[in-house]
Amino acid sequence: MEAKKEKLSMSIHTASSVKYRLVRRTAAACIMLALVLWTIWPWLPSQRSNRPRTIVLYGFSILEPVITRGIFPAFQKKWMAETGQSVELISSFGGSGTVTNQLIMGVPAEIAILSTELDAQRLKKAGVIRTETWKELPHKGVINRTPFIIQVRPGNPKKIHDFSGLIQPGVRIVHTDPLTSGAANWAIVAEYGAAVRQPGSGPDAGRSMLRGIWRNVVVQAGSGRAARTQFDSGFGDALITYEQDAIWSLSRGSSRLEIVYPRSTILSEHTVVVIDSHVSGKEEKLIKAFVDFLWSEEAQRIFVESGFRSVDERLNSSNPRFGHIHDPFFIDDFGGWQKAKLSIIDDIWRNRVLKELKP
Amino acid sequence: MNQDKVFNRKISSMLPAGFLVLVLLPLLLLPLASVFIYALRGGLGNFGASLITADVLFALRFSLIIAFATAVINALLGTYAAYVLSKTRFPGREQLGIVLNLPVAIPNVVVGTSLLLLWGPIGLFGQMLEPLGIQPMFTPAAVLLAHIFVTFPYMLGTVKPVLDDLETTYEEAAYTMGASRWQTFLHIVFPALKGGLLTGSLLTFAHSLGEFGATVMVSGNLRLRTQTAPLYIFSQFESGNIQAANSVAAVLAILSFILFSLILFLAARTGKKGAQRGK
Repeated sequence: MEAKKEKLSMSIHTASSVKYRLVRRTAAACIMLALVLWTIWPWLPSQRSNRPRTIVLYGFSILEPVITRGIFPAFQKKWMAETGQSVELISSFGGSGTVTNQLIMGVPAEIAILSTELDAQRLKKAGVIRTETWKELPHKGVINRTPFIIQVRPGNPKKIHDFSGLIQPGVRIVHTDPLTSGAANWAIVAEYGAAVRQPGSGPDAGRSMLRGIWRNVVVQAGSGRAARTQFDSGFGDALITYEQDAIWSLSRGSSRLEIVYPRSTILSEHTVVVIDSHVSGKEEKLIKAFVDFLWSEEAQRIFVESGFRSVDERLNSSNPRFGHIHDPFFIDDFGGWQKAKLSIIDDIWRNRVLKELKP
Repeated sequence: MNQDKVFNRKISSMLPAGFLVLVLLPLLLLPLASVFIYALRGGLGNFGASLITADVLFALRFSLIIAFATAVINALLGTYAAYVLSKTRFPGREQLGIVLNLPVAIPNVVVGTSLLLLWGPIGLFGQMLEPLGIQPMFTPAAVLLAHIFVTFPYMLGTVKPVLDDLETTYEEAAYTMGASRWQTFLHIVFPALKGGLLTGSLLTFAHSLGEFGATVMVSGNLRLRTQTAPLYIFSQFESGNIQAANSVAAVLAILSFILFSLILFLAARTGKKGAQRGK
C-alpha cells in the first residue's frame, strides 16, 4: 500500500516536471529566437532596399555634438528636399592627432575635419591626399574658429585672470597631450604667444611662460573632450581649452566652471580635408554638396549657436556668450603652422621646456 | 534552547559569506551597482530613451552578431585545435599549446596593432590584397578577426581537458568495431564534449561582447558601421554623457549575467550526468 502510493506520486511528479521542462524550453527557445530576429532585422532582405546613401566623416573631438545633432540633420533635410534621397552620417570623433593617425592607417573616411592645419599637412606627407586639397576650399579650408581660454572653478578660488596666473605655485592644470590632441598644439602656441605679445616683454618671455605653466600640468588628456570630462569630474584647478567647449558645457547647465578670457590669446582655426581618393565617382556630388553646405549661412549659424565663432564675422554677434578678447591673434602671426610647429612646439616646448622640467 | 543552537549555527555558517560580501563591496559590487544607479538616475523613461537611439541599437546588434560569429568560428577552430593537441603526438606539441593560449596574456591593444600591421595598408597581407581592392581593416571583418584572436584560448581551455580525460579505450573499441574516424568522433567523442563545447562557446560569446582594446584599434570606431557596444560606451563616457554610457553598460551587464547563469546551469547539469554515468 505504502509503496504503491509512493510510486503513484512519483509518476505524477515526473509527468509534471516533464511538462514544466517542456514549457521552460519552449520559453527559452522563443526568447532566443526573438533576440536573434531582433538582432539581424536591419540586414534582412526586406530591409535592404531602403538603405540610405552615406557620408563617412572623421572629426576632432569637440565637433561631435554640433555635427551629429546640428549640422548633419540640417543637411539631411536639405538633401531630402532637393533630391528626395535620404542620407546617413557614418562618423567617428577623437583627438585630432589620433584621427590623423587613423586616417594614415587607412580608415575609409571621405571627409576629415581636423583641429589644426598641421594634421592636414601630415596627411599630405603620408600620401593620404596627393595635394593640399583644403587650400582650394573656401577660407583655405577653415570651417570655424574659437579662441583658447582658461576654465577655472566657480568663484575663481586661485585668482587666475590670465595665462600668467597659471604659473603661480600650487595651481593644478589639466592640459591636453600634444601627441594626440590638436587643442594641445593650439594651447601651447596660445601660451607662448600671449607672453611674447605682452607689451614690454623680454626675448625669453615665451619660454619662461611655457616653463611656468608646464611645471603645473598634472594631467595630459588625449583629446579636448577627454580633458573636459576630467575637469568636469572634479580634477584640477584650471583647464586650457577651446572657448566653444566651455560655452557648450555652460549651455548644458554645468555649474562647475567659469571662463577666464586671457588678455591676448589665439583663435584656433579648424580645417576641412576631403580625402578624394576615398570618394567614389557616384558619391562625388553628395560629398561636394555636404562640404559646400558647411560654409553656407545656415550651417555657420548652427556653429555659432553651439559656441564656435563663424568665419563670417557678421554672424558672431548673435551669440551673447562670446567673450571679449583684448588682443586676439592667429597662427599666421607666427608664420603659419609649418613654421610655428618647428620653432614653438618642437624647438622651444619639446626640446627646451620639457627638458628643463625633467632633468 | 534547541532553537537557539540552530539559530547560532545558522549565523556562524553565514559569517564567511558576510565577510566575503563586505570585502567585495568596494572592489566589485559597488562599482557594478554604480552602473545601474547612474543608468537609472534620470528615471526609467530616460533609461529607455537612451537605449533606443539608432547608434545604440546598431551597436548592440553589431556586438551580438560579432559575438555569435566569433563563438561559432572558435567553437569549430578551438575544438579542432584541442583535438589535435590532445589526440595526436608530434614534436613541439607542448610549445604550440602554450602559444595558442598566449592571447589571454597579451594586451588586447597589442593584438589590435599587430592585426593592423599585418592586414592594414602597410602590412604584408594588406599590400597583397590592395590590388584586389580588398581592405579588411576598419570593416566588420576586422572586428571579427580581432575577436577570434582574443577569444581563441577559451574553447581550448574548456574542451581540451575533457578530451585529455576521455579514456582512449572507448575510441579503440569503436575502431575495432569498424567505425571510421568521423563516426568515432560523432558517436563517442562528441557526446562527451557537449558540456565543454557549450561552456566554451558561451565564454567566448561573453568575452567577445565586452571586448574593447583590440576592437578600438582595428574598427575605426565608426558609428552605424563598426562601433560595438563597448566602443559606444567609451565614446559616450569621453564626451561626458555618463547616463547614456551607463544605460548601455547596464544592458551588457544584464546580458552577461544571463550568459554566466547559463554557463553555471550547464556546468552543474553535465556534472550531474557525469556522476550518474560513473554509477
